[in-house]
Amino acid sequence: MDMSKTASFSSIATLSIIQMRNVSASYDSKSFVLKNVSMNVKRGTNYAIVGASGSGKSTLLKLMNGMMIPSGGVVLYNYQKPDLKNRQYRKSISKIGYISQTLGLVKNSSVLDNVMIGGLPRLSFFNSFFKLFPKEELEHAHKVLKLVGLDEKSNRKVHMLSGGEKRRVAIARALMQKPDILLADEIVSELDSVTAREIMDVIKDAQKKFNLTAIMIHHDMNLALEYANRVAVIKDGDKVLEIGVEGEQIIDFQTGNLTQEEILEMYNEP
Amino acid sequence: MNPKNNLLIGAVIAVVVVMSYDVGVDPIAFVEGLPNLGIVLKEMTEFESEHWGTAFWAMLETIEMAFIGTILGVVISLPLSIFAARNVSSKYVYGPLRALLAATRTFPSILWAILFVIVVGLGSFAGILAITLYTIGFISKLQYESIEAIDYDPVEATTAIGLSKIQLIRYVIIPESAPHLLSQILYMFDYNVRQTSILGIVGAGGIGFYIINYIKFFEYGKAAVFMLVVLIAVLAIDWASVKIRDRYIMKAQHGQQVKVVKN
Repeated sequence: MDMSKTASFSSIATLSIIQMRNVSASYDSKSFVLKNVSMNVKRGTNYAIVGASGSGKSTLLKLMNGMMIPSGGVVLYNYQKPDLKNRQYRKSISKIGYISQTLGLVKNSSVLDNVMIGGLPRLSFFNSFFKLFPKEELEHAHKVLKLVGLDEKSNRKVHMLSGGEKRRVAIARALMQKPDILLADEIVSELDSVTAREIMDVIKDAQKKFNLTAIMIHHDMNLALEYANRVAVIKDGDKVLEIGVEGEQIIDFQTGNLTQEEILEMYNEP
Repeated sequence: MNPKNNLLIGAVIAVVVVMSYDVGVDPIAFVEGLPNLGIVLKEMTEFESEHWGTAFWAMLETIEMAFIGTILGVVISLPLSIFAARNVSSKYVYGPLRALLAATRTFPSILWAILFVIVVGLGSFAGILAITLYTIGFISKLQYESIEAIDYDPVEATTAIGLSKIQLIRYVIIPESAPHLLSQILYMFDYNVRQTSILGIVGAGGIGFYIINYIKFFEYGKAAVFMLVVLIAVLAIDWASVKIRDRYIMKAQHGQQVKVVKN
């Protein structure tokens, strides 16, 4: 964990990038998928959210990038309220790299074309319409493709790639956005454990290289503990636990009452 | 087979017989008239070789008309199909536009050709306009349906990146809906060559003009030879489009690494 490096980067690095205060969310204004959740994600953190399916994890991410707005409480990204319908906010959304569970790749386009999509908000209307990519944009695309290990396959169509490779493309597209935060919704859950760890290593490298904050949803607690330095556990729309990982130490941040043994015991059960 | 089905089949046959009587179907006339084909065949052998040139140029003109009409129609269809797709466009745009496109498909192109002969006069140009209009109606429909069927995931994902609507159309909607386009264009061209062959009947250019005139002057042999030319040309185009389809569409679907294996 490279906390020390990011912490010394500047004073801004220690500030929060995502803040949630007593947030609740609902799709039908009757039942709540999230109830009274508070969390604080500092810059440079590798934050993991763990929970069973239907616990409200994906909703949490959609609140962070403004695809959803909370029905109660406050969500702040960089001290502004995320809302895709807000014009002013939409300008800053290109700094949030969001990868959905389904990845959302354009299957009939090449790997490179998919990655270039991440840089489109920086392009002028004319350049983007005629696919005239400036030299530095192409260089950046190849840089991120190298980082995810797909530079050799940049002309390949996405539908020909394997599941692991598709995830690499989605990560490269998000990195092409030059984001300051990466939100990823269970992107390794469907992979075997070896491939899942390869993908997690790619994200770890990217985080170091681009000074990224990452918030990732996981299904697997072990994977979360292995890679994250903060893990929030969501159960039925509640944040029931927030733990910090420092080396071998696991600390209960939410209540401060649970010992490492107790925490591990809770999650070693099937 | 149960009695109910037998009853239904019996009823359908009865309806066909009654309707045939009503419209004057006469099987005896068909059998008695068959030898007339022999006369046509004999006349075909008397076809003077100097007319081959005419047949060739008339067919070429027909293919050219169909080609121009298809390309013009496709070029106009592409933006129209985006405006007509319910998942991209607004209700007030796609509603009237779809009604208009449906109207262009209502009549076969030969009826449009009559209209355009009135507008621009006799000749190939009227035929090209008719083919263009019909192509617009058809390709727009196929294309907006294919746009409406695209996966929503990439649309959502790229909206979250902050793409503008134009960028979304350019980088997501068009690539996701395009794979069938080449196949549709080939099919349309094929269809248009056949359509254009008869447009001459109403004076809108092409080989049909010769065919109808030979028929009018009872020169059935010549008419039959010209029809034979149409047949050969259509078969040749059909063969060529299968080749193009195999080469480009199979490749697009299976990737460049996979080659079509021939036994």
